[in-house]
Amino acid sequence: MSGEMPTVQEFFAAWELFRDPSLTGTLAGAMLGALGVYVVLRRMVFLAASASQAASFGVAGAYFLTLNATWAVGTWVPTLGALTMTFFTLWIVASDTSHEHHRRDSLLGFVFLACSAGTLALGTRIVQEIQDIESVLFGTAVAVLPEDFQLVAILSVLILAVQIWGWRGFTAVSFDRTGAVVRGLPVRSLELTLFIGLGIALAVSTRVLGALPTFAFSVLPALAAVNLAGNVRNCLILAAMFGAASGFGGYLLAFMLELPVGASQTLLAAVFATISWPFGRHSH
Amino acid sequence: MKTDTRTKTPDRPRLRCQGLEVGHGGRALLPALNLEIRAGEVWALVGRNGCGKSTLLKTLLGELRPVAGTYEVHSECRLAHVPQRGSHDLCVPARASDMVEAGMDRGWGFLRWGGRAEGVRRALKSVDAEGLANEPYGHLSEGQKQRVLMARALASEPGVLLLDEPTSAMDPMAEADIFSLIESLRDELGLAVIIASHSMAVLPSIATHVVFLDRDDQIAVEGERASVLTDPRFRARYGEVMASGEPT
Repeated sequence: MSGEMPTVQEFFAAWELFRDPSLTGTLAGAMLGALGVYVVLRRMVFLAASASQAASFGVAGAYFLTLNATWAVGTWVPTLGALTMTFFTLWIVASDTSHEHHRRDSLLGFVFLACSAGTLALGTRIVQEIQDIESVLFGTAVAVLPEDFQLVAILSVLILAVQIWGWRGFTAVSFDRTGAVVRGLPVRSLELTLFIGLGIALAVSTRVLGALPTFAFSVLPALAAVNLAGNVRNCLILAAMFGAASGFGGYLLAFMLELPVGASQTLLAAVFATISWPFGRHSH
Repeated sequence: MKTDTRTKTPDRPRLRCQGLEVGHGGRALLPALNLEIRAGEVWALVGRNGCGKSTLLKTLLGELRPVAGTYEVHSECRLAHVPQRGSHDLCVPARASDMVEAGMDRGWGFLRWGGRAEGVRRALKSVDAEGLANEPYGHLSEGQKQRVLMARALASEPGVLLLDEPTSAMDPMAEADIFSLIESLRDELGLAVIIASHSMAVLPSIATHVVFLDRDDQIAVEGERASVLTDPRFRARYGEVMASGEPT
């Protein structure tokens, strides 16, 4: 770090420049923060980690496969790669009906390791896109394309609206599945909606912000919220707020302290989780 | 296969099983069952751990398909399930009132905003637990948790209540309290009650009817309490003391 530290005033003076990337982090943080409540309370943290790594591999694979393309490769191609690999991961887990937890964990471990190594290996073969690969893995990108911002904004609003609209149903199938079956709730539709929303959010966020902040947003804000909230409704609200604060605050800190964006967003989310711990229900 | 009927008859069974065989993967665990469960009756499903009680309950709750035969729920009756207390993950934050509120929605009713407070209050009052409404569920005693879970089941205004091991890990005083509560709810609300339990205390306490299950010896004996307790197959397993119907 050299010279004087950039200030908050300087950040907002250049708001036109920083608006899209900071708001992208804010919206992705809110969306994944709310979904993360189900990730944390349903013990699917490793699933989120593996799915975001699989999405990274999907992005790298898309760049690799279109290296010699004679047509202009749009941003939808790596997004499609991320979505394909994320849903492939979710399908692998969903299709394992053995009810053996160690088997599911092993499958997820395989996906995590194979996709992490695959992304790094492909990264060495697509030198001209190396910046993109780094941003996909660690969230180092300072700027966000306008179309990526629009995509995240639309998805965040849609997914948060569905979450607000159906939170009682999602909660029922997540934490009292038998009761939901007995009371005639549309259990399969609710589970499918929840997992499709989670898959899309993880894939698109990984493509735009990177695997590290995406995984962080899907775990740490919910962890902080679970420590503080007295019920699931408040937990969802708090997690979305912590996620949004991590996304925006992390970007601001990255600007002021000259840190990598993804690392800064992740560290701020970790700070929220750490501060919440002593106030949590565990401490009573 | 589960079927519905549309005609309400006062003494019509709330739940009827005809040649019902339960099991997994198309293989029946137990011989076929024929039951007719009416309002005011308390049926105890008894047998050792792994005898098939949970499989029968899951089938009646719609989680498993019958291997053969049918069961029929009266069209104007709702089933409600009271799970084992340990089935609720205490990491999931919830107050007692949140637990009860979660039991109110049926079908697509979860989309409705508000209007649940009175139902929650009424359900908690019916199990004498109004004062627990704002208590964190995880901080309650085992007996209080059981009351809250029963209030959650009652919140959907059921006609048949299915309880899974309602008194497991309870001391005899708490167990007696819960049996007394079940009995008073049956009388006040005209419920039909089915209790799966490996504790034989349920038999002399409140059971009017018994289903004795033994998967190893392929036994399924059902009927009024006195007739099952004097059945030679039941006596062979539990002896004369229990067969007399007295508490042990």
